[in-house]
Amino acid sequence: MHEFSIASSIVESVLEFAAKNKIEKILEVRLLVGELMAVEWEQLRFCYGAITRETAMENSSLEIEQVEAAVSCPYCSYRGRPKYWEDALAAFPIVTLQCPQCGMAAESTQGKECAIKTIRYMA
Amino acid sequence: MIQTIEASPDEIYDIELEHSLLEANARLAKENRILLDGHGITGIDIMGAIGSGKTTLIGRLVAKLKDRLGVAVFNGDATTSSDADLIAAQKVPVVQIATVNGCHLDANLVAKALRKIDLDGLRLIFIENIGNLICPAEFPLGSKARVVVVSVTEGQYMVRKHPHMFLGAHLVVINKVDLAEAMNVSVAQLAEDVRILKPDIKVIPTSCKAGTGLDEVAAELLAI
Repeated sequence: MHEFSIASSIVESVLEFAAKNKIEKILEVRLLVGELMAVEWEQLRFCYGAITRETAMENSSLEIEQVEAAVSCPYCSYRGRPKYWEDALAAFPIVTLQCPQCGMAAESTQGKECAIKTIRYMA
Repeated sequence: MIQTIEASPDEIYDIELEHSLLEANARLAKENRILLDGHGITGIDIMGAIGSGKTTLIGRLVAKLKDRLGVAVFNGDATTSSDADLIAAQKVPVVQIATVNGCHLDANLVAKALRKIDLDGLRLIFIENIGNLICPAEFPLGSKARVVVVSVTEGQYMVRKHPHMFLGAHLVVINKVDLAEAMNVSVAQLAEDVRILKPDIKVIPTSCKAGTGLDEVAAELLAI
């Protein structure tokens, strides 16, 4: 449940910002979460709701935008979307770091984001 | 970092923050790494499920290496000190990191542990993470390499069930291979699953019980 750590970090940052700028009511927090991050959105929302109670963030909505993964291959210079492992047993395709072009090990260049993008508040 | 503030007519404001939530941990991890590098120490983060054999593997490696070079161990454990006690019996510096209810170690806890021991003369520090295959992946500690320990008792599909853990790993140890037949698990298939996820990961099959594969793991870690 690292979602709790992440939710705590969101709330801490936003409340700090609110206190500094004398903001009484936060309406919405928009997050960027990379495809390569093992973050469970439902759990994150649940933790967020629980921690924001009785704060300036109470009842604010948490919007999550996914950032697609991208890789680059040091062997064949491929750049772009990663290869997915379409395993019959998995409920959804699994992202891999295997180069879709040459099959060697690729490096991720995008998809590890976990950041607050914007905050909407009432003055 | 605050970039723009834009007021809308009805007094609702949007602000761009671009504030990374894992940055605090990443920064501390970098500091740990600088401290370790400065002392010529390689930090090795050992991750894996409960019962995969993390502590036993570390114990075996410590026994192999401690007479040749300085080794210390940090044991992350939610509650007990049983793992730390086992390693401490080998008379090497051990710090138990009790996370209480935490499901992963973080760079701050490792920084605290680093202040507890004398770093001079050390060459390797094993950092045993909490037995969890999802959460520790997102929290770098400052180690130079991350090792995932998988055991055949976790079943044939354990690698594909936890892909995130392997994408950030440098070495995968497939442990308890002496039980593979009894468990009806193919070690070759587990290794192939790791290769599909990340082709450059080194995979070493071991049996901590029989002592097989351990020299290869030790050599691999010292080469990092």
